[in-house]
Amino acid sequence: MNSWILIPVFLPVISGIFLLMAAFRKHPENVQISAGERHRLHLIVGTVLLISAVLAVAAVWTGEKSLTLFYLMEEIPIYFHIDGISRIFVTFTSIVWVCAGSYGFIYIQHEGKETGFFGFFLLVYGVVIALDFSGNLVTLYFFYELMTLTSAPMVLHHGSKGAMIGTLKYLFYSLCGAYMGLFGIFFLYRYCDTLTFTSGGTLNLTAAQDHRTILLIAVFVMLVGFGAKAGMFPLHSWLPAAHPVAPSPISAVFSGILVKGGVLATIRTVYYIVGPDFIRGTWVQTAWIILTLLTIFMGSMMAYREPVLKRRLAYSTVSQVSYILFGLALLNPTGMTGALLHTVFHALIKATLFLSAGVFILEGDKSRVDELTGIGKRMPKTLWCYTFASLALIGIPPASGFISKWYLAQGALQGVQQAKFGVFRWLGPIVLLISALLTAGYLLPVTMKGFLPGKDPRYQQGTPGDEEPPGFMLVPMAILAALTFIFGIFPNPLTKYIVQLVSGLM
Amino acid sequence: MQFVQNFPFITIILSLFSGPLCSILGGKKAKRINQAVICIVMVMSCAVLAFVMQSGTSYVYMMGHFPAPWGNEIRVGVLEAFMAVFFCIIMLLCMMGGVYEREQKLEDTKQNLYYVLVNLLLSSLLALIYTNDLFTAYVFVEINTISACGLIMIKQNGRTLEAATRYMIMSLLGSGLLLLGICFIYDLTGHLLMSNIQEQVRILAQTGMYHMPLLVSVGLICVGLAIKSALFPFHSWLPDAYGYSTVSSAAILSSLVSKGYVFLLVKIFFRVIGFDIVCDSKIMNILFVFGIAGMIMGSVSAIQENNIRRMIAYSSVAQIGYIYMGFGLGNTAGVIASLYHILSHAATKALLFVAASGITDASDNHTDFFKLTGAGYRNKLAGIAFTAGSLSMIGIPMFCGFISKLLFAQAGMDNTYKMLPTLIALAISTILNAVYFMKTVIRIYTPVSRKEIQKNGYQNISIKEQPVKSVALILFIILNLILGLCSEPIVAALQSGLGMFA
Repeated sequence: MNSWILIPVFLPVISGIFLLMAAFRKHPENVQISAGERHRLHLIVGTVLLISAVLAVAAVWTGEKSLTLFYLMEEIPIYFHIDGISRIFVTFTSIVWVCAGSYGFIYIQHEGKETGFFGFFLLVYGVVIALDFSGNLVTLYFFYELMTLTSAPMVLHHGSKGAMIGTLKYLFYSLCGAYMGLFGIFFLYRYCDTLTFTSGGTLNLTAAQDHRTILLIAVFVMLVGFGAKAGMFPLHSWLPAAHPVAPSPISAVFSGILVKGGVLATIRTVYYIVGPDFIRGTWVQTAWIILTLLTIFMGSMMAYREPVLKRRLAYSTVSQVSYILFGLALLNPTGMTGALLHTVFHALIKATLFLSAGVFILEGDKSRVDELTGIGKRMPKTLWCYTFASLALIGIPPASGFISKWYLAQGALQGVQQAKFGVFRWLGPIVLLISALLTAGYLLPVTMKGFLPGKDPRYQQGTPGDEEPPGFMLVPMAILAALTFIFGIFPNPLTKYIVQLVSGLM
Repeated sequence: MQFVQNFPFITIILSLFSGPLCSILGGKKAKRINQAVICIVMVMSCAVLAFVMQSGTSYVYMMGHFPAPWGNEIRVGVLEAFMAVFFCIIMLLCMMGGVYEREQKLEDTKQNLYYVLVNLLLSSLLALIYTNDLFTAYVFVEINTISACGLIMIKQNGRTLEAATRYMIMSLLGSGLLLLGICFIYDLTGHLLMSNIQEQVRILAQTGMYHMPLLVSVGLICVGLAIKSALFPFHSWLPDAYGYSTVSSAAILSSLVSKGYVFLLVKIFFRVIGFDIVCDSKIMNILFVFGIAGMIMGSVSAIQENNIRRMIAYSSVAQIGYIYMGFGLGNTAGVIASLYHILSHAATKALLFVAASGITDASDNHTDFFKLTGAGYRNKLAGIAFTAGSLSMIGIPMFCGFISKLLFAQAGMDNTYKMLPTLIALAISTILNAVYFMKTVIRIYTPVSRKEIQKNGYQNISIKEQPVKSVALILFIILNLILGLCSEPIVAALQSGLGMFA
């Protein structure tokens, strides 16, 4: 019996809906809740989140399982299947989610509407786990859309005009992207033997031979569409609009997890349905690599020029997730290993960065980078977390980012064998290098000015450490920051696992 | 012959004669009679559906036992019975959804007239569904038009009178063209019964005689019915007619009346002319092009619209476009998709109209987009229902709109030339749908300060305040979910129904 794997999906969804109903009933008479109610809320949310996270992780680490829920249409079931990819995704999702949740207990007290917030927080967790579990393309699409819809209200949390525009932009780009994905699914449904994920792809090559052009177009449209969620150029601009207006724990899970939904969809499409052999060496691969490199460079540039910290981090996500897509686009095992490693590391790193940015906003009321001068004197621990994560993102050994970027560069160097792709052999690593420099350029000034304000007139003297956030916020950040380094120092178990997983795919 | 087989005839006559009966009764009694009639018709249609499903074939019911060339016939298959049941359900829910508005806004002397019109409308819809005689169809098309006109202008103000006049003119133009087409066909074949016409048309098609007149008559019928069901570019009457009439009228008009004509068109394609012959003539391509144009232009107009009712009305133009696009694909899969879209659009659009009325009630009867801010919190059920309807319209999985889009896309894949246009049009139209529906959903869920609520005199409306409407909304949502999650048996029923249709 595998039906227990439904618990980590439905428990958070159902309890989330209950919380939402409770919040909805009270709106708008009673926005603030009393201390007792808050205590109870935290207890419920914490318990549900922990139980589901433990069960989800247990479900993925106890072997492959599959479960058919129901049939949407003839031959199209809603079908869960847990395999190696879901294992990775579920694990880091759960870690980041629990940390962000614990952080959110304190953070959201200052924002109000707590019940509603945690309702959506749990709901989206269930949906994301279901997305990671999904075993065929239609199920994936189903939960992909649900993820967009359920996460949109979290951006809208403030209800301000900016939040509304951010939400609309997010919805519009995501739905647009999802429908481009659906467009491709229609084609694949016709030319694939099955839409169930199978290593190496299910495309019926004899049937596809006559329709090669149209299928390549369809695949490309899907890549661009799913790329919208992953912030790939040209559909990236929702990220900088949605992130700054959302509460920080939300930005953290958006950047760390939800954006990875696009990555997951891309992996599933390319490696499990279409098959890497079909697009290797075609114009689709070329165009895809060009788009990712462009996004990497552009994202870093925009981040470098951006004065608002959270928007800067959002642009950084645009750039960093395209590292992952670049690795996938290389279509060779080393590149893919790098991509999967970077998926995990980026989730941990970006969550840490957004959480610490949230502390700066909350405790210091500072959202612009130039206002953060001297912040390290007042919140040294938070800034240390930020610094560790920054170092990891830049890729300075022994931090984790180094490992993944190493594999990505290796993949680019050895990977693209065909003569006409020769240019990417050197262009890829160069872009990665420049972007790493830019990453240092946009992340480290916060640390430097924070710890060493010098005689800057904007720096006001404060008692050291007096504004440090409470433990519920600090500990999750510290755990995440520590993980980014632990994975860098002891990368072997994870790397081995991923190399083994990837070798099964290609 | 079994007793059940009389039911289709009985339902038509029952609803036809209960109309005049309502005219001599008071408003309350007329309402009861109307509800009872709809329920009885629904139960009877269910029995007919069960019977036809069991027997697996369609049967012909002769009126007064006069044989073919002279007598009038009813023909009942799975598709017809299914549509009858579905139309009854939708009509009942629409009437439930508008009950408070009717009681408050209509003059006392006109209460019963409303039910007269609704009963006549129901009977004409049933007749359109069941009849096997082209001229009977025309007669009931006229009854349908006239009662629909009455429904539009029963709430008398300048807007509705203008809308009704416009509707009248356009609709009569459509009826005129339909009548011309029928006359031509009668002239060519010498029959009015559908099955007899088809035999003759087959001979004509094989010998190649009267090719042009036949084409012209089919064209006239298509254009006539397209005008009546508001296919782009004949949709100019629609936004006013749906936007300013009472809720039930708008819901019934958009979800049933226009669909009745579409169903008649399917019937003419399959039973009168023969689907292969229609497909060979290039008429399908024209329908396809205008369907796609409607899908896009309807949504574009809806985006520009600031009045929520008119916005939903423009969305109907787009959805009618989907249905005609499905016909235009020229294969049975396309027609199945269109038929499914008739169901899903009826369930969703009626839901949206009723929910929108709940939302405007909570906003001091303003329909202006910007006055609706935060209405989802003031009338919670209506807000949820509107959201559910919007998601269905956009085509989010779990709701019925997704299934119909899936069917359209699959049908499109079977047609090599129209595959790309279909998929691209679906994608564009879906995104446009998302733009205006999500905009509205976010607007109604944007909180407003309590001061502003008091200043504008907005009221909260709880679920218990209007129990009948609440029940209607909940049932509508459930219907949407059923159509979205258990589509398989319904599509199977449509397929078998279409199989025994020709």
